[in-house]
Amino acid sequence: MTKFSTSVHALCLVAIFFVAGAAYAQEEPAADPSAPEVEAAGSVETDPWEGFNRQVFGFNDLVDDYFFVPAAKTYRATTPKAGRRGIRRFLSNLGSPSVFVNDLLQGEIGRAGKTLSRFAINSTIGAGGFADPAGKMGIDGHSEDFGQTLAVWGVSSGPYLVLPLLGPSSPRDAFGSIAEIGLAPLTYVRTPPANYARLSLAGANLLSARENVLDPLAEIEANSLDYYSSFRSFYTQARAREIRNGVADYDALPTFDEFEDIE
Amino acid sequence: MTLFPRAFRAALVGAAATAMISPAYADPAAETFVAAILEEANAIFSDTDAASRDIAVETLVDKYVDMERVAKFALGQYVRQATPDQMAVYLPLFRRYATNVYQSTLETYSGQKLAVTDSIGRNERDFIVNSKVVSAETGDRYANLVVSWRVYRKPDGAQTIVDAGAEGVWLAIEQQSQFKSVIANNGGGSKGIDALIADLSTKVGG
Repeated sequence: MTKFSTSVHALCLVAIFFVAGAAYAQEEPAADPSAPEVEAAGSVETDPWEGFNRQVFGFNDLVDDYFFVPAAKTYRATTPKAGRRGIRRFLSNLGSPSVFVNDLLQGEIGRAGKTLSRFAINSTIGAGGFADPAGKMGIDGHSEDFGQTLAVWGVSSGPYLVLPLLGPSSPRDAFGSIAEIGLAPLTYVRTPPANYARLSLAGANLLSARENVLDPLAEIEANSLDYYSSFRSFYTQARAREIRNGVADYDALPTFDEFEDIE
Repeated sequence: MTLFPRAFRAALVGAAATAMISPAYADPAAETFVAAILEEANAIFSDTDAASRDIAVETLVDKYVDMERVAKFALGQYVRQATPDQMAVYLPLFRRYATNVYQSTLETYSGQKLAVTDSIGRNERDFIVNSKVVSAETGDRYANLVVSWRVYRKPDGAQTIVDAGAEGVWLAIEQQSQFKSVIANNGGGSKGIDALIADLSTKVGG
């Protein structure tokens, strides 16, 4: 999902729809007092913008069904598996300067060192990032983005927010995505080749990310009674863990032992 | 310039905190319990016939998962509003639904093996046992995936599984989020629970 954040043009939409979302929320401040609490491992969150979020989610799902899924399936059908893995690695390698900066901003010197080593090793003997010799040496990669940095700095996420075309987010993470456009050097190069590179990169990131989750997402949709809340829970749980850099927060898990009295 | 020492200190504190959390509350009994289940599960993952796999997974789920406890958990606060009649319909439907989810989730594993790595006790009844996909094949997308098991120990000492998760994402927590949403969006209370039962019934084809 973080791959989406590199899409410059889509991110302009973030700004527009974020404002629209906030405006919508203000129009109907009493959204729904009985709105269900989202209990994720790590936090108890509410979904006060559920009405708006569900509409955007429905729209995204439609675009997904008619555009992204067919495109991702075509991509899968016309390319070899190892080639797609190479592309994923290449794109992830291109994203590593941003990961490095966010590692530093979070004070994670060790992880910053790993990111830098990976970038140096994979960009050179890893054939420009298509191979992952660093991983074979035991230097594993990880994700970071400015939304996670803000979280580490103590900024709370705000309510769950579904963004048009970009999917699940929050006010904090949406702001983080916008800030990242500002931090990307390519944003300021306005020549035709740079424009082309920006757009191709955004498209490649979207396509590669969608192809990679074709099966898991289809399974989640098939297994759920309510795809919206199912997706919300999986996303919220995964995002919380991503922010904690994979360290589990066992204390925040809900309990299963409160039913003794009604057995 | 000052960023580095400060950040370094933060990293040290973080590392110290992590070191304090993990080994202190390990529970050998919960680990042994899960290791025995994984031994049975690993045999199932090597079975290539989908139909016989599904039967084996269902048997395993019935044997080790405390389905009633998970079913009640999945209702969240609404469990106290469900009538005995509703519970009588809901419990078997939930068992079928959750078993289907386990079956389709485990379908994607083939040839992989899970091995217990560590455990954490939240209290004397509640444990998390972590396991890892150990795979012979290189480049396997599930290699090193962490699969966690929530073990509940009853007052009489009997142990059961109440939740399963991959990389910190838990199934029963997701089911509770869904069910509470369905109930709330259908008027809440008894009416909402009826709607949930109807949805579950449609989903499992009952």
